[in-house]
Amino acid sequence: MLELRGISKIYNPGTVTELCLFDDFSFKVADGECVSVVGSNGSGKTSMLNIICGSIPVSGGEVLIDGKNINSLREYKRYRMIGRVYQNPAAGTCPDMTILENMSLADNKGKRYGLSFGVNNSRKNYYKEQLSSLGLGLEDKLDAKLGALSGGQRQAVSLLMATLTPIDFLILDEHTAALDPRTAEIIMELTDKIVKEKKLTAIMVTHNLRYAVEYGTRLVMMDKGNIILDKSGKEKQDVKVEDILDIFNKISIECGN
Amino acid sequence: MLFFATTIDGLQMGLCFAVLALGVYISYSILDFPDLSVDGTFPLGGVVCTILMLRLGIPALPAILLSFFAGLAAGAVTGVLHVKFGISKLLSGIIVMTALLSVTLALTKLLTKTGLTTTIFSFRSENLEGLFSGGASRLLGDSNRDYMILIIELIFVIAVKLIIDLFLKTKLGYMVRATGNNEMLVVSLGRDSGTYKILGIALANGFVAMSGALYSNLYSQYDNSSGSGKVVMALASVIIGIAVFSKIKFMGNTTAVILGAVIYSLCLNYLVLVDTNGIYLKLLNAVLFAIILIFNEKTSGFITGRQKARRGQAKC
Repeated sequence: MLELRGISKIYNPGTVTELCLFDDFSFKVADGECVSVVGSNGSGKTSMLNIICGSIPVSGGEVLIDGKNINSLREYKRYRMIGRVYQNPAAGTCPDMTILENMSLADNKGKRYGLSFGVNNSRKNYYKEQLSSLGLGLEDKLDAKLGALSGGQRQAVSLLMATLTPIDFLILDEHTAALDPRTAEIIMELTDKIVKEKKLTAIMVTHNLRYAVEYGTRLVMMDKGNIILDKSGKEKQDVKVEDILDIFNKISIECGN
Repeated sequence: MLFFATTIDGLQMGLCFAVLALGVYISYSILDFPDLSVDGTFPLGGVVCTILMLRLGIPALPAILLSFFAGLAAGAVTGVLHVKFGISKLLSGIIVMTALLSVTLALTKLLTKTGLTTTIFSFRSENLEGLFSGGASRLLGDSNRDYMILIIELIFVIAVKLIIDLFLKTKLGYMVRATGNNEMLVVSLGRDSGTYKILGIALANGFVAMSGALYSNLYSQYDNSSGSGKVVMALASVIIGIAVFSKIKFMGNTTAVILGAVIYSLCLNYLVLVDTNGIYLKLLNAVLFAIILIFNEKTSGFITGRQKARRGQAKC
């Protein structure tokens, strides 16, 4: 279980650009839940993910995993239990290394990175199997550099790499936003398949309201550092895209737009 | 005849600097770290090797290999300054380079005490030839010693190249490559990218120091100012090598870097033929480097321009 308790986050404290994003913000994700998070720009979605992953420090409050405070746990140590896919397809892979090398790197997560050979040939078939599940024909391009692949292909490999080893949480940070609609659809279906197959606890930030409604077991909407909508179970299934769009418009009108 | 001798000289120098270039290839190309401490670690390797050979009587080859660790330590300092204390890449290099100027002077002083040298800035000693004066160097007869030196150097350089190639294929090597390529990925894999950065820079400077040690063996002299301009020389070698040779299929980057170092040294040696007084040598050196960089930019721009044109045609 992941919990944010009484989080406050102030950007640029003590300066004219001081911005208080979170003030006593709390959020809980139970094991096995798949939460879609929507909200306008600046509502704190990505900041929330960064706080969970330890990419930015909190000004107050606690980040807890299974009841244990991980506030002082460094970012790279948190990633031992977290897999993350970024908006930028280039962020999750090494462009100058081949698909095989990238897969080997990801496959070794949690183990020692010592002086043994980077590629374990006996694992090649396993990688091919995993890559063929993407249905993009990448299993025949093991020696191609990642940088030579298209954004969609790279994002698919990123997703595979982030979930190749056992993880407790999968963080999806607008991971379809930089892709064309058709590729985004493929990646979203893949994500759903992987999350269900591996029974992952996932948090997905997205601007695509349809994805938020269609996928996941829980829907959360954020605005100015607060959760203004939180539906799960049966309630979530009844939510329609139009309903969320209505709320979105209301918020915007309140802001005077 | 002079041209021929210059060529042999250039080849000898080039192979010696190939080790330097291979080190800088690790820091500059793989880690994307323009490391200025190279100017300090090069003479450091030279002086450490000299002390080991002349004061402690250690044979040349182990002395050269041991000097690797001196560079390793100095490189680690650069890495720690940058990673742990957040000092910028260039400044951490400059700090270590400056500090090493004193360190090498202090170390050279150890040699003056024994009467091996009268100044603390440089000295010559036939005993320093070590690696290139033994029985092996006379295998082809005294008159062919120059060729034998080339062969010994070549074996040495190939060994270094193979070790680096092998290292870059290990899991640890993958992480060093990933750190230079996409630091975020290393963090995502649950590892501290800073550690790999420090390791990479330390290794790079280890090879640089080894090149300095080789240099003092090659010319049987040590010079405190031998480090100046080595960053430029190494970068030029790496850039030429990769720009010219990496397009050839089946040629690895490390081989390309070695060839780059040899070509650059040959060019420098031919410049000496033109500028016999050596006054404009550094200037010519810089101009040569600038030409290479401009040429490199031009060709890559040209290629993309052509690709654009091709794409345009495809659309029509």
